[in-house]
Amino acid sequence: MSLGLNEVYKSFGGNQVIDGVTLEIEDGKVTSLVGPNGAGKTTLFNLVTGFVAVDRGTIRFAGRNLGGLSPQAVKRHGLVRTFQNLRLFLDMTVLENVRVALESDLSMNFWSRRNLAQVEKVLRRVGLWEQRQKMAGELSYAERKFLSLARVLATGAPCLLLDEPAAGLDGPSLRLFHELIREFKNGGGTVLLIEHNLDIVRDVSDRIVFLDKGRIAAAGTPEEIFSNPVLGELYFGIRVAAATAGEAGNAAR
Amino acid sequence: MLPYLLNLAILLGIAVILAWSLNVLIGYAGIFSVMHAVFYGAGAYVAAQFALHVSADFMLSTLVAMVFTGALAFLVAVPVLRVREEYFVVAAIGFQMVASTVFITWEGATGGMGGLSGIPPAKVLGFELISPAAYLVLTLACAAVCLLALVALVRSPFGRALKALRDDETAAIALGKHPVKLRLIATTIGGAMAAIGGSLYAFYVSFVNPESFTLDYSVLLMAMVIIGGAGSLLGPVLGALFITVFPALLNFLQVPSSVLGPVQQIVYGMMIVLLMMFMPEGLVSAGKLLPGRRK
Repeated sequence: MSLGLNEVYKSFGGNQVIDGVTLEIEDGKVTSLVGPNGAGKTTLFNLVTGFVAVDRGTIRFAGRNLGGLSPQAVKRHGLVRTFQNLRLFLDMTVLENVRVALESDLSMNFWSRRNLAQVEKVLRRVGLWEQRQKMAGELSYAERKFLSLARVLATGAPCLLLDEPAAGLDGPSLRLFHELIREFKNGGGTVLLIEHNLDIVRDVSDRIVFLDKGRIAAAGTPEEIFSNPVLGELYFGIRVAAATAGEAGNAAR
Repeated sequence: MLPYLLNLAILLGIAVILAWSLNVLIGYAGIFSVMHAVFYGAGAYVAAQFALHVSADFMLSTLVAMVFTGALAFLVAVPVLRVREEYFVVAAIGFQMVASTVFITWEGATGGMGGLSGIPPAKVLGFELISPAAYLVLTLACAAVCLLALVALVRSPFGRALKALRDDETAAIALGKHPVKLRLIATTIGGAMAAIGGSLYAFYVSFVNPESFTLDYSVLLMAMVIIGGAGSLLGPVLGALFITVFPALLNFLQVPSSVLGPVQQIVYGMMIVLLMMFMPEGLVSAGKLLPGRRK
């Protein structure tokens, strides 16, 4: 089932954005992609999900080569993503936003009990069931974040690619986010996470991949990555290089 | 006065059906089509020819017109939907110009500029419809069927997928939606529904010619949807009401008949400008402007 990238290259114009990335994402684990802005993290998501074609290299999931597949086909194979800027359907209700994620375009099953039960379960879990008839555009920022997460969780896809899902969350919202990721992982789900909040990265990740200028600068457990002074300097600057991992997280926010 | 009001009500009913059919494209699929009068016209000509040469049964004629026009809309959409947004608008105008020329020159099918006349009265369940009141009932019945179909469409997975596409195409694609397929089907449905309006018009007026299906009318239909409020079921009704009834009300302005026409046009045009300035979401959003209502 695992997701793997082998010698993947991508350039835009003369700019080599992804430069020979080889990566194996373990099943049932949370792998975080970290690195400075412009490191190529979101481009990597776009390559995996079929929004951008690779120049060279292969991407495979569950034994299938994803090369040349459309985003719709990638989704059908069980890889679903969120977006940094959320991209909710703002003029649709909370309920519709989630329902549309697990229906096929031409289904004539208007009132699928199974779908509705799944939608209800997910919306209750993220705390949005009571607001199901609200337009997505009327939700607060934190609620929108959870709606975006609910939308992909409801699909039942085994692999989620989450682009900065916790940015802007705090307190109880962050705790809920932790719980949701942990539950998904405990259910056998795989997560590839882009996140700048390093406290979250440290808490939820099984493995961290440090991307810089389109290359993997380092990969390892959270302990290995956060104790690496060179990466600290690369990512957080000299101020944090000697600091603890927790302080590093705060500084990054 | 009563015949005048009946006539106005029937034309309003037809306009509502046409605006609803265009709303499938503009309001739900996000396709700004400026060629809808073509499908209205195609529906009218097919129903008229069927009535003249085969049967004046309204349901049968309308069904044939819907199938033909739906197929035409599908065939047109295949190449035209390949271009996006403003380019689509221009391509649609081009298609409308081609179709208008065909309506004028293909005399065998359309009767040319002279049009098709002598269309027999519609028959419904064996009854011949003669009076305007009967046509009003038929128009209302057609509108009710269209409304039910639209409610079902909007609440179906297909309707939700369309709205998702309209709101954010990239996110919809990420969730497995197919924009081209969805838009093709929406255009086909919109075209077929416009044929109902065309068929009603052909039977009611008993005469069709190209002047009713011009680019001007396509623009007017688009205005109905936008002025009323795209993406809602009530919006096109309000838009059709405004576009159809407001000019009629202006006939009662107390101005000399020599300047009535220009004054009507100016007042009408200014109303549209003001509406778009202060109610860009359309007349349907008027409720939000009331004191105490959420904006």
